Amino acid sequence: MHKIFRKTRILLLVIPLLSGCSASSFTNLFSNYSQQMYGVKQAQQQGDFQQAISLIPIRSSTDGSYSLGLLEKARLEYLANNNKQSRQDFEQTYKLIQQSQQRAKIELSLGVENVAAVMSNDNAIRYDIPRYEQSMLHSYQALNYLSQQDLSGALVEVRRANLVQESALKANANNIDASQKSIIAQGASMDSLSQQYPSMNRAIGKVKNGFQNAYTFYLSALLYEAADQKNDAYIDYKKALEIYPDNRYLQQDIWRLANTLHMTNDISLYRKSLSQEVTKKSADASNNNQGQVVFIIENGIVGAKQEASLSLPIYTSHGDMRFYSVALPSYQNQLTVYSPLTLTYQGKSYQAEEIVRLQSLAAKKLQDQLPIIVTRQITRIVAKEEIRKKLVKKGGDVGNIFANLYNIVTEKADTRSWSTLPDSIHILRLNLSAGIHTLNIHINGVNQQIEVAINQNKQTLVTLNTIGTYVGQNIFNL
Amino acid sequence: MNKLLVTATISLALIALGGCTNKSVVRYGDATAVETTDINFGSTDLQTIAGQMTDSLLLSPVVGTLTANTRPILFVESIKNKTSEHIDTESITDSISTKLLRSGKFRFVDMARVAAVQEQLEFQQNSGMVDASKAVAFGQQVGAQYMLYGNLASIVKSNKDKSDVYYKFTLRLMDLKSGLVEWADETEIRKTKEKMFISW
Repeated sequence: MHKIFRKTRILLLVIPLLSGCSASSFTNLFSNYSQQMYGVKQAQQQGDFQQAISLIPIRSSTDGSYSLGLLEKARLEYLANNNKQSRQDFEQTYKLIQQSQQRAKIELSLGVENVAAVMSNDNAIRYDIPRYEQSMLHSYQALNYLSQQDLSGALVEVRRANLVQESALKANANNIDASQKSIIAQGASMDSLSQQYPSMNRAIGKVKNGFQNAYTFYLSALLYEAADQKNDAYIDYKKALEIYPDNRYLQQDIWRLANTLHMTNDISLYRKSLSQEVTKKSADASNNNQGQVVFIIENGIVGAKQEASLSLPIYTSHGDMRFYSVALPSYQNQLTVYSPLTLTYQGKSYQAEEIVRLQSLAAKKLQDQLPIIVTRQITRIVAKEEIRKKLVKKGGDVGNIFANLYNIVTEKADTRSWSTLPDSIHILRLNLSAGIHTLNIHINGVNQQIEVAINQNKQTLVTLNTIGTYVGQNIFNL
Repeated sequence: MNKLLVTATISLALIALGGCTNKSVVRYGDATAVETTDINFGSTDLQTIAGQMTDSLLLSPVVGTLTANTRPILFVESIKNKTSEHIDTESITDSISTKLLRSGKFRFVDMARVAAVQEQLEFQQNSGMVDASKAVAFGQQVGAQYMLYGNLASIVKSNKDKSDVYYKFTLRLMDLKSGLVEWADETEIRKTKEKMFISW
């Protein structure tokens, strides 16, 4: 009995040592992120953003989830139209991302975190902000700069977003293959995992990878056009079209710019691939006294990661197979359907179309990461099992109970992700004559009127945030 | 034996926690010293660009003939920031125009302060507080003959071993009357940063 207390004492000393310098705090080790964020998301759903900000769990700057907390706060500040504070928080997050990219190849503190993760769970590892979240960070940051009439600042953010997407494309190619091999080497098979792990196919939908964000490309093209860099805009519209080939508004923009820039090769290609409705329009529609209104509509809130418990067959070092229960993160396998914004103008009605589904990107990203998560999980099980055996040897039943209790309490899935992001984003673009217009829009089941000023050959950007019954709007004359 | 283990663990914990705290010291440094805190645009880059550009402009034979008998009047249009960093380009143009003024060969009009000047002249003319005979009248300023403008562009590349950033600064001088570009030059800067192999 005395011996067990000594063991416990040492264990209790070791844990703060592991979490002392750079790893996560205790709350992260023993409760999962989605539970911590529940109240925040409830308040956000009701449109009470100040309340939501006050509910975000406070973390110290050495906490592994510190940058994630900043992201959540910055996003809510953005929704609350508190652009200055939002800009500062995003900027700080960006600095943290930069720092983590500049870190040494071998980092000792990372090793300590990994040991802590093996002893407890994945929440002990510092949160690595995935590429799609980084691209959204820069998109919001661009809008923050825009709200302060700083187009050149917004363009800097747009370029940063493009760098993120480029590096994601490079990094993605060889990652997935390697991680699948590692899981097989650990003595578990992908089959047994895929049989038990909840399917996310419906949530993923048609998304091909978890990082290419057409919305970011679209926003960047829009801002390039505002800065009269039509060629840059054209390239980004093309990238967006590759991801969303059926979006009619994208097709129109490509067709318009291809003609303005006299891209003869592209024009003949697009004449075949784009819909006839788009290509029959005359090329020089932009010459007359017209401007454009562009709607960017954010719908809902992205779903939170959930904890799925499953039992996996794993071969132990003695060669026998045993079933172990593990907790893995997953997303609900469904997509919320949002009725798109409808705009009525001069008797004709126009409907917004989807440009990104963040829920699908998040689910795809998780699916790609799964082999690595499972590999770590297996290492953890083996380690915890060894500790249990040692404690049984030294402390008999009491040791066994203590070890089992510890294992149950610490078996938590890593459900961290930027969870205040919108679920999906839609766009709508319309040519209007210069001057002031009152537009009738139908959104979220409510009819609304919006007054926009259109300047000749310029864009007027209207951003709408619809969450639950809340509809917030901002208008920028680009 | 056990006491030893506990003592060892505690001292390890103390060392680890001690590593997190360190004292900060304030001291003065050389403003023109080479600064390599990180790979982003810094004071050394700004000084290099401003220095090289003014030298090139003042030494160019074209500018020599322009400034032979007169001091041409210039205005600085903004430098377009085309990099992926938030750089205060006004600070670059400030350095360049200050150096040019100091050379005594050029004169400048400051477009950034037009509104303030207008406000002051209106005060002198209309407020009734300034002696009308001594107030500065409207319509007596001199217009610029030349425009100085440019671009700052960058290419950023990085992989798992190192990051590389390349800056190119282009500056041009345009004759406003004829529209001819009388002078142009560019400065390039390359910086690389290799990742440390091991760190805490």
